[in-house]
Amino acid sequence: MNRYIKLLWNGFFPENPIFRLALSLCPAVAITTNIMNGVYLGLAVVFVQVFSSGTVAIFKNYIHPRIRIPAYVIIIALWVSVIDMILPVINPAVYKEVSLFVKLIVAFAIIICRLELFASKEPFLPSVFDGLGMGIGFLFGLVLIGAIREFFGSGALLGHDILGFKPLLVMILPAGGFFLIGFIIAAMNWIEYKTTGKIPKAGGAH
Amino acid sequence: MKEIFKIALSLTVVCIAASLILGAVFAKTEKVRKDNQEKEEAEIVQSLLGYGHDKKAPGDLKVYAVYRYVIKDAKGGTLLGYLLPLKEKGYVLAEIDLTGKPGKVYPVDADAARVAEKATRDAAVNGVLPQGAKATYAQTLYVANLGDKRLGYVIEGRTQGFKTFIELMVSLDPAFTLNGIAVVKHEEDPGLGAEIVQDYFKNQFIKKPLDVVKNLKVVKEPIPDDYLTVLEPAKLKVSGLSEDKIREIKDKHLKDDIYALTGATISTRALTNGVVDTVRKFVYRIDILSDAVRKENIQVAF
Repeated sequence: MNRYIKLLWNGFFPENPIFRLALSLCPAVAITTNIMNGVYLGLAVVFVQVFSSGTVAIFKNYIHPRIRIPAYVIIIALWVSVIDMILPVINPAVYKEVSLFVKLIVAFAIIICRLELFASKEPFLPSVFDGLGMGIGFLFGLVLIGAIREFFGSGALLGHDILGFKPLLVMILPAGGFFLIGFIIAAMNWIEYKTTGKIPKAGGAH
Repeated sequence: MKEIFKIALSLTVVCIAASLILGAVFAKTEKVRKDNQEKEEAEIVQSLLGYGHDKKAPGDLKVYAVYRYVIKDAKGGTLLGYLLPLKEKGYVLAEIDLTGKPGKVYPVDADAARVAEKATRDAAVNGVLPQGAKATYAQTLYVANLGDKRLGYVIEGRTQGFKTFIELMVSLDPAFTLNGIAVVKHEEDPGLGAEIVQDYFKNQFIKKPLDVVKNLKVVKEPIPDDYLTVLEPAKLKVSGLSEDKIREIKDKHLKDDIYALTGATISTRALTNGVVDTVRKFVYRIDILSDAVRKENIQVAF
């Protein structure tokens, strides 16, 4: 398989940030009470991850290894701030929806993790594709959790009332989010076990 | 030892590069962002007065902004200053001391554009004050007239939210009944506290009279089903309830406290306290202000 496609697929399933690496679970639980929240946060992460990975990949040789973590944090904060300033000018309507999520990203473990594990060792293009894959994988995870929680917690999908009642109110509370993520991780482990015959290693051990 | 300098230099370069980029982006985007924000605030004021894209504001609707300043005089005393638009042309700054006694009235030489911009307005206000006194901007109040009749007030407010400040606006009719609230800016958590911007939540405040608002509290209960149907515009549309029935349900819950958002009691409480606080202080202040305007015979525009 082409390496770039493999990198994209890697973030989607084998190293999905939420379900396999178990990173950034806090926002994954906190905001995924409906699908649209998941989409907005996911898109914001895709942008920041791609830009940050690209930047680190270009400048990795100039960043002193002893201060690489603070340098990464500055780079992430830089891109978050730039997006936070440019987006309201380009599209105020979208910004109104996304602004809350964009500001949360500075503290996301997944972004700094990919910079440290991947972008600081690899050239520019693979880093960008890794960032893209991770971002899309994160987006997919958020949308999946958001859809299930919205359906069972509010009886709706994408804000449209479908059931007319709320089957499981606990689903939109944080506790329901934790349960659901646990079940999805279990399901993904089961899929991996069935397809490869191997018992999956602990998260992040790939 | 040499290593330390290398590290320090490297980190300094990263920081300088980042700040240069941020500075450049800020310089390019700030003006547009500010313009957008001003436009948005004007729209919020209009919508709180009951006009929006589906209902165009009539031609004789006039909205006047009154700016409240806190003045520290040369002796260290504190006064309030209201920048009022005049009927003829121009503005005055009316001083009122903390006991409510009207003080000096300074004519302010400024046009509408200079007053609308915060920096030039601050300069104009400070320019007319005597040596040693300093005015700091505190709040904007909007007085709305429909022809010669008072339509209502829109007041800016601020309250401590879950993480940072929530900026809000409340709209009152001339009898100080709540006409609606708007959340202008907030950083509550998405999915939890951020629900304060939803209509079904904000609509709980509408039409609550002053004596109810003054003692408004938050109850940790889910919104009753019949009330929720009336509060949520999307549900109300499909419910097929008659006008009378809607009014009946609204009246039944008129004196209810605010029902807390699930998982966001702190944000609910913050916003409710903010609204109560803003309304209370405004009612107190507008009384004193109109008194002062009458006594000093200031020909205000509204």
